[in-house]
Amino acid sequence: MDWDLLLGIGRFVLATTLLLLLTVPTAFIIIQMEMKIIAQLALRYGPNRIGPKGIFQSTIHGFKVLAKEDTVPDQADRSTFTLAPWMVYMAAAMSMLVIPFAPGAIAADFNIGIVYFFAVLGLSVVGLLVAGWASYNKYSLLGGLRAAAQMVSYEIPLTLSIVGAVVLAGTLSFSDLIQWQRENGWLFIWQPIGLGIFYIASLAEINRTPFDMVEADSELVAGPFTEYSGMRFGFFFFAEYVALFIMSGILITLFFGGFLAPWPFPAQLEGFGGTLYGTFWFFLKTYIFVAIAVWMRGTLPRVRVDQLMNMAWKVLLPLALVNLFVTAIAVVVLDL
Amino acid sequence: MADLRRSRPAAHALGRGRPLSAPVTAGALVRLLHERLGDDLRELWTDEDTVEFRIDRARNVDVLTTLRDDEDLDFFFLADAAAVDYGTDAHFEVVYHLFSWKHPAWVRVRARVDRRDPRIPTVTTLWEGAMFHEREMYDMMGIVFEGNRDLRRIYMSPDYRSFPQRRDFVLPDDAADTAVAGVSPLERPETWDLARFRDELTRSAAPTAAPSPLDTDAEAGEVAASESRPR
Amino acid sequence: MTRIDPETQIPDPIELDRREEERLRAAAGLAPSPAAGGEYAGFDTVGIPDRPPQTEREREVYTLDEGEMLVNMGPQHPSTHGVMRIVVKVRGEIVVDVDPVLGYLHRGIEKLCENATYTTVLTYVDPMDYLSTMHNEHAPAIAFEKLYGVKAPPRAEYIRALVVELNRIFSHGLMMGFLALDIGGLTPILYSFINRDEVVDMLSAISGQRMLFNFFRVGGVNWDTNDEFLSRLGTWRSHVLDNIEMNERMITENEIFRGRTLGMGRLTGEDAISLGVSGPNLRASGVPFDVRKAHPYSIYHELEFDIITQDGGDSYSRYLQRIAEIKQSIHLIDQIIDKMPHGPVQAQVPGIIRPKPGRAFGAVESPRGLYSVYAISDGGPNPYRFRMRDPSFISLQAIPKLMPGRLVADTMAVMASFDPVMGGVDK
Repeated sequence: MDWDLLLGIGRFVLATTLLLLLTVPTAFIIIQMEMKIIAQLALRYGPNRIGPKGIFQSTIHGFKVLAKEDTVPDQADRSTFTLAPWMVYMAAAMSMLVIPFAPGAIAADFNIGIVYFFAVLGLSVVGLLVAGWASYNKYSLLGGLRAAAQMVSYEIPLTLSIVGAVVLAGTLSFSDLIQWQRENGWLFIWQPIGLGIFYIASLAEINRTPFDMVEADSELVAGPFTEYSGMRFGFFFFAEYVALFIMSGILITLFFGGFLAPWPFPAQLEGFGGTLYGTFWFFLKTYIFVAIAVWMRGTLPRVRVDQLMNMAWKVLLPLALVNLFVTAIAVVVLDL
Repeated sequence: MADLRRSRPAAHALGRGRPLSAPVTAGALVRLLHERLGDDLRELWTDEDTVEFRIDRARNVDVLTTLRDDEDLDFFFLADAAAVDYGTDAHFEVVYHLFSWKHPAWVRVRARVDRRDPRIPTVTTLWEGAMFHEREMYDMMGIVFEGNRDLRRIYMSPDYRSFPQRRDFVLPDDAADTAVAGVSPLERPETWDLARFRDELTRSAAPTAAPSPLDTDAEAGEVAASESRPR
Repeated sequence: MTRIDPETQIPDPIELDRREEERLRAAAGLAPSPAAGGEYAGFDTVGIPDRPPQTEREREVYTLDEGEMLVNMGPQHPSTHGVMRIVVKVRGEIVVDVDPVLGYLHRGIEKLCENATYTTVLTYVDPMDYLSTMHNEHAPAIAFEKLYGVKAPPRAEYIRALVVELNRIFSHGLMMGFLALDIGGLTPILYSFINRDEVVDMLSAISGQRMLFNFFRVGGVNWDTNDEFLSRLGTWRSHVLDNIEMNERMITENEIFRGRTLGMGRLTGEDAISLGVSGPNLRASGVPFDVRKAHPYSIYHELEFDIITQDGGDSYSRYLQRIAEIKQSIHLIDQIIDKMPHGPVQAQVPGIIRPKPGRAFGAVESPRGLYSVYAISDGGPNPYRFRMRDPSFISLQAIPKLMPGRLVADTMAVMASFDPVMGGVDK
């Protein structure tokens, strides 16, 4: 009896269950934040009836989404229509496996975690494309194609922007990266351009304003999600906010020290206390960046599709390459 | 169909507006119009800030071209193109209003269009913006603009088969109430025969006795009330 | 009360409609409709009319070449400023042709007014261009006063100009919000509505209504100013310039907004005149045509103001033009408040007027352009013909001219910059 293997499998199953369970309250919290923050920006109250100050509005939205009728258009391709939300949601959920929430608290500590993360996150493109095609609706088709073009274009600056960080730290694993940041200072000081490119590309990757042409609701109603209702739409909806959380989480892991405290704690707690402390810092930093993304949604108008693509290929990509070369030369020359 | 306004004076013989009170330059405009348009100009009236005249419908493109392109006239902007229906035994009229920097008055050009064969040349070659005006005139009055590339209905659905702003247009719902059907609105029995109406209201499925308002016996009153209340 | 037999089978109305449609189509010789699985079943024929094209232009628009498809920005849409259907022929993301389909909000106001007294007509015209109600009433009031031969007293004219300029301010402010909303910014629309709310509270103090102010009468206005109106006016005036500047700063210098509107939908002056475009859209293309200066009505010949123009002709210029006009209107309101005389606010006019037979044309400068009324009287209590020329209706013709070659996303942005209001378009 290979107890180690069994234990490993058991741990993995527990971790994935916890992660999947985590996605739901995360989505709820972020949706609530969005409703309230954008309302404050627009000089409105936002939801303030359900629960004290309206904090349970999001939960009720979740139940409402469950209770709605699930319609499938008559001439839509039923099997792929049903499959599309799963694909998007699973891409988001699978990529959560490698996020380091706390020292030792990663579901799967790959030594090529960064590669795995970006590979899996790209699967959501397939889901959107399938949704657009299977809906038998021209709006959805246009939206799905826009999504494919946008997300595929921004994958390249996204991955290239962090290669500089990887080269500096010399590792592709998230936990080793954090270890490097603990010793050498957080990476946003070393790689400011990389941070900028990564931030912009990550917003475009998850279709957040100002890059939310995909679901531009003043033009194509809801893009690839037009024909979806009920829980199927719920999956897309949640997947978007979970992806926002994940991207912010990776941003801070790569550039802002992950679960590290801003100052070196005199006696670094180990064990359970260390886990709690790390989790606290992780969530705090992640939610700061989520709040910034929500703020941007309430303030900025949308960038047009071709301007978006222009920016990806003509601005961000060359910048990312330049950043990479400079970092590589610096590493070689200065023997970092 | 009968004209619903038979008792009114024939509208196409409407009189002139108020006397000209605009400064002398409007007189200059009138002289200029007579000079440039010559024979095309008929029945010129002036108003406080408008000079209007009638033209023949076949000449409308030429007249409007002159008004637009002549340097002294320079009526470069088509402000409005409208259609008027002067009754079933009269004609249609297409009315253009024009604006110019050089003259202090609007110019109103009126062209009579025969009701039995409502055709008039299009002015979309002069002003592209006349397209929607002409489509609306076609839709609402049925006036056909010869040479218009896109003469289809604009407000009503494409399979609509009537012309709503004509004087003899009635909705099917209203047709039963109009003089056309021979029934005067004041004679509809369901409106005026209150006794019959009251009977309709109080009649109910079960035969009952009428309630007695002076019935002071509570029990009998309740029973009687429940029996007689219409269900 | 009739009893309904519980065993009654009420037929499904949708099924009845379908059968009726099939019967009518068969009788007319048309193919069965796509929804019913006729010969086009399985093909996407959205937008293609199921009858032969009636005109050259229709044939041009609805003939699809290789790779083109028709997208219906349909009557229910978050962005078409009302119910309008735009059939866009796209090749991928690029617009090849545009065909606006109107009439979803057609209420037959012109015909309705032929059966209404002159005063009632002034209430019927309110919901035409519902964001510039005062202008909708001003033009018929001018036309009817010409027909009847009465002049409104000077105080009435000043009050008219005041409310008309207030209306212009909040209408232009709303355009800012709608333009930002159609481009994706969710917040400026709410700021615009806050501005509008202040003005609307003011106007409700003077007219009793918040949106369809039934304020103008033949011969003047209905009510004089009251304390509440004046106090709200004073409060509003003290902070309006700052508010407008704060709101516009958020949009005007925004890089993304500029990228979406600079150079988009460039309309030259000659094209605009040929298309009949008027108002801020025309002035943004460089043509200084303002009805208030060209044929002054009301008291505009006593007020001092310049005609503002921009030389861009693109969406950004139209936006800047409206901001400049808001400031100009505030300046006009200051002058009006200074110069307002005392006196009656309505001429002695009977309830039902019977003007002598005649024809009259009244034109005003509405926030969307030249709004004019051509009224014919036959001596009776109702107008014989009541014709309204709405500026949004004519400005819409610029869209099929500007859109080809641009992206689908720009359709909405360019349309929003022309600021059409479907109530006026469809009458």
